[in-house]
Amino acid sequence: MHTKLVIVAGIRTPFTRMSTDLAHLTASDLGKQAVSSLLAHTSLDPEQIDEVIMGCVGQPADSANIARIIALRSGVPERVPASTVNRNCASGIESILSAHQKMVAGMGECFIVGGCESMSNYPLIYRNSAIEHFTELAQARSLKDRLVALSHFRPHDFSPLLGLQLGLSDPVSGLNMGETAEVLARDFELSREEQDAFALRSHERAIAAQALTQQEIAPIYTDERAVLSDNGLRPDSSLEKLGKLQTLFDKKTGSVTAGNASQITDGAVALLVTSEAKASELGIEPLGYLKGYAVTGCDPKRMGIGPVQAIAAANKKTGYQLNDADVIEINEAFAAQVLAVLKALKDPKYATKAGLEAPLGEITAEQLNPRGGAIALGHPVGATGARLVLSALKQLQASKRKRALVSVCIGGGQGTALWLER
Amino acid sequence: MKNLQLTQQDGIAILVFDRPNSSANIFDAATLVETQQAIETVAADASIKALIIRSAKSSIFIAGADIPSLSNASPGDLSSLIDLGHAVFNQIADLKIPTVAAIHGACLGGGYEIALACDWRIATEHKSTKIGLPETQLGILPAWGGTTRLSRLLTLPKALPLILAGKTLNAGAAKRKGLIDVAVHPAHLLNVAKEFTKKGKRKEVPHTLVHNLASVKMIESTARKDLMNKTQGLYPAPLKALEVACQSVSQPLQAGFKLEKDAIITLASKAETKHLIGLFLESEKAKKQRIPGMDGHKIQSPVIIGSGIMGAGITYWLSSRGYSVLMQDIDDQALAKGMHRIHSQYQQAQVRHIISLTEAHAGMDRIYASSQPVNLMKKDLIIEAAVEALPLKQKIFTDLSQRCREDCILATNTSALPIQSLAESIKNPERVVGLHFFNPVHRMPLVEIVRAPSTSDATLSTALQFVQKIGKTPVIVKDSPGFLVNRVLVPYLLEACKLFANGMDPKAIDQAMLEFGMPMGPLRLLDEVGLDVGKHVAETLIAAYSDRMSLPPMMESMIEQGCLGRKVGKGFYVYGKEEPEPNPQALQLQKSSGQIPKNSAEFLAELMSNEAARCLDEGIVESAEAIDLAMVLGTGYAPFRGGPLHYADESKLIRPKFFKDAPPIRMAG
Repeated sequence: MHTKLVIVAGIRTPFTRMSTDLAHLTASDLGKQAVSSLLAHTSLDPEQIDEVIMGCVGQPADSANIARIIALRSGVPERVPASTVNRNCASGIESILSAHQKMVAGMGECFIVGGCESMSNYPLIYRNSAIEHFTELAQARSLKDRLVALSHFRPHDFSPLLGLQLGLSDPVSGLNMGETAEVLARDFELSREEQDAFALRSHERAIAAQALTQQEIAPIYTDERAVLSDNGLRPDSSLEKLGKLQTLFDKKTGSVTAGNASQITDGAVALLVTSEAKASELGIEPLGYLKGYAVTGCDPKRMGIGPVQAIAAANKKTGYQLNDADVIEINEAFAAQVLAVLKALKDPKYATKAGLEAPLGEITAEQLNPRGGAIALGHPVGATGARLVLSALKQLQASKRKRALVSVCIGGGQGTALWLER
Repeated sequence: MKNLQLTQQDGIAILVFDRPNSSANIFDAATLVETQQAIETVAADASIKALIIRSAKSSIFIAGADIPSLSNASPGDLSSLIDLGHAVFNQIADLKIPTVAAIHGACLGGGYEIALACDWRIATEHKSTKIGLPETQLGILPAWGGTTRLSRLLTLPKALPLILAGKTLNAGAAKRKGLIDVAVHPAHLLNVAKEFTKKGKRKEVPHTLVHNLASVKMIESTARKDLMNKTQGLYPAPLKALEVACQSVSQPLQAGFKLEKDAIITLASKAETKHLIGLFLESEKAKKQRIPGMDGHKIQSPVIIGSGIMGAGITYWLSSRGYSVLMQDIDDQALAKGMHRIHSQYQQAQVRHIISLTEAHAGMDRIYASSQPVNLMKKDLIIEAAVEALPLKQKIFTDLSQRCREDCILATNTSALPIQSLAESIKNPERVVGLHFFNPVHRMPLVEIVRAPSTSDATLSTALQFVQKIGKTPVIVKDSPGFLVNRVLVPYLLEACKLFANGMDPKAIDQAMLEFGMPMGPLRLLDEVGLDVGKHVAETLIAAYSDRMSLPPMMESMIEQGCLGRKVGKGFYVYGKEEPEPNPQALQLQKSSGQIPKNSAEFLAELMSNEAARCLDEGIVESAEAIDLAMVLGTGYAPFRGGPLHYADESKLIRPKFFKDAPPIRMAG
């Protein structure tokens, strides 16, 4: 039985801000680009693939099971199955975990996984009242019936719901993601200044590491232009500029702004993951392998604290401590949320707030997100998890170090954490 | 019966064409006689309530008449063959029972004429199904009732474009234009055909309004004017077909058939017809050509290096033929432009109904563009189409040869550089070959396959079969400056430039060659190619053949002044929104009193013929027929003239002649 999942190779598209360079591409266009790039760079014979598994949170209405569409468009043989996974912000990671579980269950040894998201193309949605009226109109047979049906429309029928806004809200807690970050800022006593400083650090680190990060990226040639790299990085960012931004979710007492939250972004990632035997058969030097992982739940109103329990569970499984990690990637959904996680891990007073009996230890500045995070690079929700894994392993490769921890908070109140080694 | 079977099902007779030991059905005399016997059997059997005609072949209904036997027939034999066809098809049309042609696969010429004799025509929506009357492309006309019957079925305005251009259509287009009654999935062909037998005989619609004397005259004169514009009157077949179609609509059917027969006998004896048929047969040969004793590898995974006009053009073509293509370039902006060019080509193909939107998307999806050093270890053919500079190409070849498998074929699309010097720059030079595509790739059917001294038979064979597989016509040429097509073309272009330098009106030079039958005059062609690019190709040839070629100083001056051709808006002509006019800047450079030959077309055409003859002498290409075919397909050299070597024969330029005379034709009666 195969138990060890090897991450053989990975590549991604540029991550670009919503409504910019890649806005005219659909989620499946982006996913297709990533998978085609992976196939071209690895020269993997698509006949070898056992399944394609992709994460996508806002699956476009015209792309049900988007992984299957991406697989076929990329030239993966028809007989190879494909499935789409959704664990909200951790969907890109979920694709890796899903491959591991399938491998252990004897359902294959060679998977293309990853994630894709076109947040530019989240739909506008008609309200239910409008849909009722449209249905009535479509069923009207005579002119009179049609006129009557038309007369039932009301102005608010034509004011659509924003798919993006709905997607970033949690109907159970009734809060949107930004509001959950405000809850954490309050609970964990995080100032606006702290959050802005963390955001600035993300940009600075991303800019400093841009040449290295570029090695994760395959350009896209579209619309007569070459889109070569990420476009969310702000070389001109400063504490002063960040400090001037409006708070978005709590106008009076809040601290979360567009500047200290992750960017809304388009992008896709593809990874080749296999059994150990398959990896050596392919003859490609692997990036690393999956050592252990955990997914845990938490209060949906405090979804951003999710990584704490997940890391605790993953540490327990692997026996590793925080200081065993050479690189730690925690997704920067919000600066407040990452800072809350750091505080809960370190400080006994806050550890209990996150449901820990005792703190796990301190994550150092050197360990954490050395090449910046989603505040600078963007957070295409379905793809981010896979990017973190790719980036962590590329960092280990570059520094010839051994071990990485990747963790993501998940809308709806979950966290996931995985240990990677090379 | 040998070529067909007649069976019966529930009172319906099914006539199935199935030529033995062949993948195609064709109409020769024997098949026509058998068809006649079958129809007589059907007519005599009162229990038969309907007739369905179909084919047992997987991709051909009936491909038409047997062209070689048609072209060798004496006028007497031709006359009886035409009579026989008319008789058989009329017997079908005269049957009292409903008749249905159930068409799957190529249904061309005589194949469509038998279908026209049926009451109903049903065809399959399948890529092999092609319907039409391509006769005029061979210099003849549909003479087994096709010209007469199609005009009556569709009316002249709709039938003439089909008959005169000789275009073939897929089932969808054929349905839209009225050539068939319905297009169905192949699985339903027979059932739908049976359904149609229940409709009874087709009622003839007289179209008296469209076909009255006055309107026919109008239609004819408009169509004639259009034809003269397109063909300069150099092609007798469409003119004759127009005449027959217009005369026959107002006469009884039999009179129409008589007109068809007289016309085809007249046309068959013409040199133009012999040339067109000769080219058709030669191109069929080229498409099936093999390297003796070799079986080439099947190419699975091609790579194109370079995303300029040629690189993008080849990438588009391969992806549109179903290949997954990797396109590489070192320049990201060039790749973006190349991908955009390919995208536009797919859009155009979709707008012109050549492919569907879904197929266009799938075609784009099969292309992966990258400037990064991706893995080439699974690739089996790399076609380099980079800038024409030997050191650069050598560098690319050295790099590629280190990144790909040892048996991956390395091809170059160079139009003039010596292939051998590229081969020598790498390990395993036996895998290097030239694959010279012409611009625009999607429209030019020729590919020169250049064999360098080190090229192995195995490489050549794989390249040959690949070119055939992608639907291009190959000609194998020796590795020698300019290969064939450019070598023959360059002296012609250089001398045309010198005529211009000597004071000749550019429009007169181009018009003379248009009247000769070239698709474009030499100066317009230079403008299209770009004078700088033209000079670059010419220099390779001039270096090799300085005894007879030299660069006109005019060309240098024009390049210096930035008159590079169409791409910059000015060359010999100025290009704007209107018809191009001579460029005053270039006219200023002319000498007023240079030497100008009396007949410039003859002078320029002879240059091509002489150079073509040298190529044959030097064994650049194996046969005179292949040289002529390559020039027609590679440059559009006047097809009705047969090619530059046929022209040499006919203008008595070179003796002995290149081609044996066909047996003398005596007019019947």
